Formats: sequence, C-alpha cells, structure tokens
Amino acid sequence: MHAVVPTEAPVSPPAWRQWAARAIALPPAYAALLILLAATAALRPQLLAPGLLWLMLRQAAPLGLAVIGQSLVMRCLSLDLSFAGVAVAVSYLVTGPLSALPPATLLGLCVLLGLAVGAVQAFFIVGRKAPAVIVTLAMALLLGGAVLALTQQRAPGDAPEWLRAWGRLKLAGAPVPALLWLALLPPLAWWLRQSVFGRSIEALGDNPRAAHIAGLAVQRSTVIAHLLCSLLAVAASITLVAYVGAGSLQLGQDLALNALAAAILGGTGFGFSRGGLAGPAVAAFMLTFLFNFLTSLGLGEPGRLVLQGLLIALACAAQALRRPVAH
Amino acid sequence: MSARASRSMPAAAPLKQTLPAWLLSPGLPREGLGLSTWLLPAGLVLLLTITTRDFLQWQNLANVAAQVTALLLVSLGQLPVVLVGGIDLSVASVISLTGALMATLPNPWAALAAAIAAALATGLVNGLAIVRLGLHPLVMTLATMTVLQGLCLLLLPVPGGSLPAAVLMLADARPLGVAPALPICLGCALLLGLVLRHTRSGLHLYAVGAAPRAAALNGLSTSRSTVGAYVVCSLFGVLAGLYLSARIGTADPSMGAAYALDSVTAVVLGGAALSGGVGSVRGVLSGALCLGLLTNGLNLWGVSPFMRGALTGLLLLLAVGLQRGKAAH
Repeated sequence: MHAVVPTEAPVSPPAWRQWAARAIALPPAYAALLILLAATAALRPQLLAPGLLWLMLRQAAPLGLAVIGQSLVMRCLSLDLSFAGVAVAVSYLVTGPLSALPPATLLGLCVLLGLAVGAVQAFFIVGRKAPAVIVTLAMALLLGGAVLALTQQRAPGDAPEWLRAWGRLKLAGAPVPALLWLALLPPLAWWLRQSVFGRSIEALGDNPRAAHIAGLAVQRSTVIAHLLCSLLAVAASITLVAYVGAGSLQLGQDLALNALAAAILGGTGFGFSRGGLAGPAVAAFMLTFLFNFLTSLGLGEPGRLVLQGLLIALACAAQALRRPVAH
Repeated sequence: MSARASRSMPAAAPLKQTLPAWLLSPGLPREGLGLSTWLLPAGLVLLLTITTRDFLQWQNLANVAAQVTALLLVSLGQLPVVLVGGIDLSVASVISLTGALMATLPNPWAALAAAIAAALATGLVNGLAIVRLGLHPLVMTLATMTVLQGLCLLLLPVPGGSLPAAVLMLADARPLGVAPALPICLGCALLLGLVLRHTRSGLHLYAVGAAPRAAALNGLSTSRSTVGAYVVCSLFGVLAGLYLSARIGTADPSMGAAYALDSVTAVVLGGAALSGGVGSVRGVLSGALCLGLLTNGLNLWGVSPFMRGALTGLLLLLAVGLQRGKAAH
C-alpha cells in the first residue's frame, strides 16, 4: 500500500504575468509596429489616414506573399533568395513580347516558370544536398542574367491593361490585391496546422533526423515547400507588376532581403516558427510602413539600407538570445 | 576478377588509372584539387586560342590579367571563410566602401586608415555574431552588407570623385606592361598558400571547418579561427576595393556588388567545399582564372556581355550541384 503524500494544488501565476509572458514571447514585429505607429502619430500623423493605410497595405501585398514562401522554406531548414530573379523573369513574361497573349495563357506560363524554378532549386538542394543559399542566389543570377541578355538592358514595356486594372481594383475602398493576400492567410494557416504536410515540416524543422527515422517524408516535404515558395514568389511578382504598372529590370531587387527580414522579425527561424503566418504578415506591413515613414522623414535609400541591415541583424540576435539551443 | 581480365587491365584501364596520380590529385585531400582544377582553365585557353584570333595578343592577355586580379583578391579573402564553413557576402560592400572612402576623404592616408578600420570592424562583427550568437553566416553577412551599402551611398550617392595618385598607380601598367597590382595579388596568394599549408593557424582553419566539435574538443579555438577568417576576408576586400577603384579611375558606390557571388563561384570552382574543411589557394587561382577567361571569351566570341551573369549563375549552380554537401542551408 502506498502512503498518501499530500500534494499542493498548482498555483497559476497571476493573469497579468501570463499576459506579460505572452506579450514578451510575441515576435519582434508586433512591438516594432506599435513603436512605429506611436512615432508616426507623434511625427507624421497624416500617414495614419485610412486611405494611405490601405495604399500601404496594397504596397505590402507582394512582400506579404513572398514572406509566406520564405517562412515555409525556412521552417524546412532551407532558404530562398531567388525572389529578385523570379520577379524580373515574371516582369519580362507579362510585359515583354508575350504580353499580348491571353491572360490565362500568360498566367499559366508564369505558374510554369514558378514550378520550374522551384523544381530546379529543390533538385539541387534536396537531391544534391547543395547549400540552399548558393543555389537560390545562383538561380537569381541566372534568371536576372537571362532577362538582361534577352532585353539587352532595355526595360520591357507596360503591363497589359487587364493586369493594371486588377492592380487598381478596389472593394468597398479596400485594394483587392491586399484583400486577397489577407484572405489567403487563415486557410493557409489552418492547412499548415492540420495537414500532414504542415505537421511534417514542423517535425523536420525540429529534428530532421528524428523526423526521417520516424518515417516522415522529409525530402518530399522540403521539395513541396520549395515549389510552394516559388509559386508564391510568382504571385508576389505578378502583384508587384500590377502595382507598378510596367516591367522593369530592377523590379523586386530588395524582395529577397525584405522577405528574409520580415520572416525573422515575424518570428520564423531556421526550423521553427513562433509567429505562425500572422507574425510574418505583420512584419511585412511593418517594414512597408517603416520605409514609407522614413521616406516621409526625408531619409532616402542610404538610410533605408542601413536600417534594413540593422533590423535583420538585431532581429536575428534577439532570436538567437531567446533560443540558446542551436540546431 | 579473372586472371585473364587482370592481364588485360593496362590496355583497357580507364582514364583515371592511366593518368599519373599527381595530375589527378596534385595536392593533399583537404585541398580538394582534381583533374578539373587544371583541365578547365587549360581547356578554356586552348578553346580560346583555336576559336579566336586575338586571344594571345599581349593587350588581350593584359586585359584578362587585369580582370582576374580583382576577382582573385576577393576570392583569396573568401577562401578562409569558406574553409571554416562560412560565407561572406559583406565583402562586396567593403570593396565599394573602400572606393567611396578613398574618393571622398581629402587625406589619402586617413581614407586608407578608415577603410582598414571599417574592414576590421566588419570582420569582427560578422565573426563574433556568427561564433558567439550562432547566427547564420549568410544572414549576418547579408545584414552587414546592407548596412555598409547604405553607408556607401551616404558617402557617395553617385559614381565619381578623384583618387590619390598612389592608388591610381596600382592599375597603371605603363612601365612594364603589367599593373603593380598583379604581382601584389600573386604575392598575397603565395603568402596565403604558405599560411594555409604550413602554419598552425592554417591547419586550424581546415580543422574547424571539417569538424568544429572535434576541433573544439582537441583544444582548438574555433572562435579565433572563425573570427580571423572573416577579418582576413574583409581586409582582402579593402585591397580589392583599392585596385578596382584604381582600375576604373574613380569610385562607384556599387562597384563591389557582383564580387560577392563571383568570389564564391571562383572558390567553389576551385574545388572548395561550402560545408567547410576543403579548399586551396591553387584551386582559387584556377577558379578565378576560369571566370576571367570565360568573361574574356564572351567578349571575343561576340556574345552579349549581358550573358555573363546568366553564365556565372549556371556555373555556380553546376559547381555546387556536382559536390555533395552536408549543409542544409
């Protein structure tokens, strides 16, 4: 017979401490957005007008789409820095000599391009175990160089009218591209939480060897993540061309860097995600808002670059300090 | 294998068994050298000699040497970083910043001191953040690259400015037909080769890159080797920046941008493993020469110079695809 040992009832910490702990655990993007909004209210309150906020949300949509892809591949311990190349290639497809094709054919070609880019990258990263950084940077170089050679450094033409019209489309005052981006987030988050794929990438991010031994299709999940990332890069590029209204050889040059910064600020790291899909989305809006705020203060490209680099380094350092156990 | 088959071996032996061992692997296993290290540049030279008339002209060879010098300087710096399993993209901005400082500060010595100080700080920040905080080398160096690029644009918003005569002399090939930068560059290569092969610090770089945990358990300072590698890379960036600005005769705030990936391509083409622990100066010489010859070939063949970016991307993709790595990202 066992002696009955009196046990103390667990004492739950006070509610305020629970809230404080949750707030501290949030990705840095939330705090940064709050500070930014406070600074804007004090220094440039006109930026907080609803019309301008919708405009910035539309401006953030391409980055928002790209950062979903970046978060996916980062959770699989990989990375994608080919966004600039994909953006230039898509820009060439939809504004170059093929722009007169029917919209469905043109969009189909863009999807094929995304699938091809994703498949080639996945082949080298998963099949040949080549470093994702180099493979995706080389892909960006390859796509950018190919478009440069095809156009002989001349900017392609204007975007087709249907694409520009879509970029300008509004629903009850809200820009449709931004609404589509936001509408994509809940089902995607639900899918990542409930599906086998979502749980597989969580397991492989935690410990790829354990996931492999447990019988999960680790390689297949990484391939799917890369394919999805490239397709999202194509979607981001189409949204960007629709927003700008014309093709350019400089289109989306900072998309890769910003997507990386937004993913890290939104709580995504190599093999884990603390902010779900909401964190990176908030970070994408925060970065877009920040660049507009800096422009309104008169800080041009140099200030933006310095701040962007510092933000990435600080967000990474904060993440590393919070998560001392390295993978 | 039957006795008859073994008797007929010499006649039917594959290429690998008929060529002398020194040609197949003319170095230590950790140097990653192979047949392609020599065949690739030699094949390109042969191809260019046969297919073009001007390749062997003195002026053209001087052009190739001038093109290769800058890339070689950056690639030599990238090598120690790759040996410890890292990558340094910020070297691109160090190159641009050096040019911008030389063109904007009135006193050339102060400008040089500022460039060296900036490079030392960049290397230290990169190395310490990677070693102490465990940050991914790419993310950290991408961040420092962005910050430094911003500083470059702040100093020099548009290309321009004049350079001191001492700097311009680096690319002046008039007295001997060879710019002084080339022997300096080859001297640096020789020195780095000796350090990597014959000194304790060099061996530590290989050990840290091949098996960091084993190196640490054997009493090596992995932090010192890693931080040192990033500092050396940044200092080579200063040298490349001085030479590049001398070559174009002025400064350009984005003149180093292409060199981050080009240097990685040259190092990988030379047989270095991006997962660390394998690589050599001879390999880097071969890789940089291949890229230089390829660029020259495109010019001589009349191919659009804009194709160079695409070809570099393709080469890099094939080079990393052919080596089986262990790193996931």
